[in-house]
Amino acid sequence: MNRREAVARVAWLMGGTLSTPTLMAMSQWGQTADKQSSGLSKADSLLDDSQREIVARVSDIIIPRTDTPGAIDAGVPAFMDVMLRDCYKKPAQDAFVAGVRNLESKNFLALKPDQQTEILKQVEASATPSATSPSFWQIVKEVTLLGYFTSEAGIKASFDYQPIPGRFEVIKIKPGQKDFMYGNQV
Amino acid sequence: MNLNIKSEKAQTYDAIVVGSGMTGGMAAKELTERGLKVLMLERGYEVKHVEDYKTAMKDPWEFEHRGKITNVAAEEHYASMYFSAKEGTQYLYTNDKENPYIQKRPFNWIRAYHTGGKSLLWGKQSYRWNREDFLANAKQGLGVEWPIGYDDLVPWYNHVEKFVGVSGQAEGLDVLPDGQFLPPMAMTAPEQHLKKSVMQKLNRTITIGRVAHLTKPQPWHTALGRASCQFRNRCSRGCPFGAYFSSLAATIPAARQTNRLTVVHNAIVKEILLDSQGQKAKGVRVIDQNTMEVREFYAKVIFLNAGTIGSTSILMNSKSSRFPTGLGNDSDQLGRNLMDHHLSVGARADIEGFENDYYFGARPNALYIPRFRNWGNDKRGYLRGFGYQGGASRADWARGGTETGFGADFKAKMTQPGPWKINLSGFGEVLPDPNNRFYLSDTQTDKWGLPVVVFDADFGENERAMRKDIMNDGAEMLEAAGFKNVVPYDNAVAHMGLGIHEMGTARMGKDPKTSVLNKFNQVHACKNVFVTDGSAMTSASNVNPSITYMALTARAAKYAVDQLKARSL
Ligand SMILES: Cc1cc2nc3c(=O)[nH]c(=O)nc-3n(C[C@H](O)[C@H](O)[C@H](O)COP(=O)(O)OP(=O)(O)OC[C@H]3O[C@@H](n4cnc5c(N)ncnc54)[C@H](O)[C@@H]3O)c2cc1C
Ligand code: SF4
Repeated sequence: MNRREAVARVAWLMGGTLSTPTLMAMSQWGQTADKQSSGLSKADSLLDDSQREIVARVSDIIIPRTDTPGAIDAGVPAFMDVMLRDCYKKPAQDAFVAGVRNLESKNFLALKPDQQTEILKQVEASATPSATSPSFWQIVKEVTLLGYFTSEAGIKASFDYQPIPGRFEVIKIKPGQKDFMYGNQV
Repeated sequence: MNLNIKSEKAQTYDAIVVGSGMTGGMAAKELTERGLKVLMLERGYEVKHVEDYKTAMKDPWEFEHRGKITNVAAEEHYASMYFSAKEGTQYLYTNDKENPYIQKRPFNWIRAYHTGGKSLLWGKQSYRWNREDFLANAKQGLGVEWPIGYDDLVPWYNHVEKFVGVSGQAEGLDVLPDGQFLPPMAMTAPEQHLKKSVMQKLNRTITIGRVAHLTKPQPWHTALGRASCQFRNRCSRGCPFGAYFSSLAATIPAARQTNRLTVVHNAIVKEILLDSQGQKAKGVRVIDQNTMEVREFYAKVIFLNAGTIGSTSILMNSKSSRFPTGLGNDSDQLGRNLMDHHLSVGARADIEGFENDYYFGARPNALYIPRFRNWGNDKRGYLRGFGYQGGASRADWARGGTETGFGADFKAKMTQPGPWKINLSGFGEVLPDPNNRFYLSDTQTDKWGLPVVVFDADFGENERAMRKDIMNDGAEMLEAAGFKNVVPYDNAVAHMGLGIHEMGTARMGKDPKTSVLNKFNQVHACKNVFVTDGSAMTSASNVNPSITYMALTARAAKYAVDQLKARSL
């Protein structure tokens, strides 16, 4: 087993809730950290304006606005930029850009919502989980979930947020019970 | 001339404690409470209890990367990124790039250079050693015989546990002796089911983890400003409630209350200075980590509590004509017998059912399964044993990353508690082996001109054989409970250091020819130097070590003070 898998496993063992793409991206430092950093400066973005719009649209299809805010409301697109720049290494960034270009070539933004959803279903179906580098779909979905479910809007709308629970108690679930959130994942 | 004498006097204390972590804090508390004027020297920056816990009260959305580590942080903190360091906690982990070391064989050296040391970051699991742990080396002819036994430590375990505050359930087991416990934390429904099934089918005990959290603070805890645990499980960002034990929340405040404690930060202890006869220590030489200024401090007795590798390195660096290869190294055992616990092996499963069972609060604790192999009538093809830590909880929204689907229904689903999952992770004993060692580089130095540490250690055949049982037995227990998709796992590259329980490099023993320290943690050949952190361990047991380090420290401190009073130091 290589160092990357080691990271993934140990994180899991230690009760980590990180899912595979994040762990993979995180662990690429194991191979590349000593050699290079991503080479992006703070101001850089990997995407141009229309590509960023595609990503925003994709994130909002993953977590749409319903009776609660959606990914765009919660600021996921800007978060996506930051995460790609700071937390993913070159191979993952490349995979991400390629994924966006693929949607670009399909004229994604001009399509009707149904068609967009259909395309994303195909993208999801063909995104074979890779053992070496996360795919566009893995990254976009994972970062959308992270960005949304840890945002103030996302947390307050989705969960029973308890920053100071005060006790630990075994309880029964009530109908429609929202998940408790304690802010301890960071 | 006059000036020098004056400043020498001003820099003279009864005792010097090197390090402010788990054991340094205990040494300072015990020595000051017994009347000594103590100087504590800490190589790192100052962290003030509560006010310097800069991320403790932050909400998730206040972190730029929502807790994830950045590429830059990963490069700088590579050792600790393996698990505990996240965006909110990394400020308490040492920067490996600035504090390099060499891995001849893979070793992760996880450090916390600041007030409190690793006591701010630990998992708080606190288990006594059992009687056999102290006898195993002698019975099996391995390493050297322990110069003390369980009974020597019992009063000190009692003393330390009471002060620390350990929550747990008494079980009456020889393999895991009971201690002074605050009320235990609860088990979730599937955990209770596992406990019952494993007892019925396999006759093994499962108990709730014994952790240094105040579940019911006692007057001596509240007197230090410590409060009840709030079950936020944000512990490694620092606990503003002082609810888990750390030197910052407990031992250092207790020592300060005596008005006999002085703490100096940014003071890297380089070496121990000997008196003119070269037989006794008279003080230490220190480099200021920021200004590089070199200073000396003097005392009648010196306690080394710089963490296993730190303390042993100081001994190695203290070369003289009497000790050409390092203070107390007559036995050539300094740096040898490096031990840790081996982990990253166990079993996990999905749990069906229990849909209506849930829990409120984030429990900073897990289950504990005490050793059952090579115990009583059980005999295996390897030596010693292992225990498990782990537990069951419901998956949260992050499960969505690996589940198919997106859109409105998916979003709604992620707001509900997910399915139960369970993990049992083994902690195995590592045998003492003189070829597992670290030494100081002859060629490479750090930015303070100190030789860089070289690690050269690995698990052996015994550990590898044990891992097979850890996997299989873990799976067997999960199956006994009827859990689904049981997956035994063994991370074959798990290596030394990842357990963060490094120990053994200046071991205790009866014979100065084969050990560095005597039964009171004194350097055999230099009696006013005490080493009471993990360096002193003669074998490793399989339980987490810190409560034992603290018991050894408190015991040695009492002895040192008695000897000083009797003028025999
Ligand atoms: C994430 C994590 C989880 C853990 N979980 C557990 C657990 O559940 N149970 C358990 O028992 N243990 C656990 N541990 C291990 C535990 O933290 C250590 O065993 C314990 O802190 C060791 O105490 P110490 O005093 O030897 O060293 P430390 O607490 O590391 O303190 C050493 C201090 O000495 C200072 N120092 C080092 N060199 C010098 C020098 N040359 N001059 C001056 N000062 C110096 C350091 O800066 C530091 O402050 C865990 C550790 C970590 C990091
Ligand atoms: S869980 Fe308890 S010990 Fe941990 S941070 Fe919260 S109050 Fe402090």
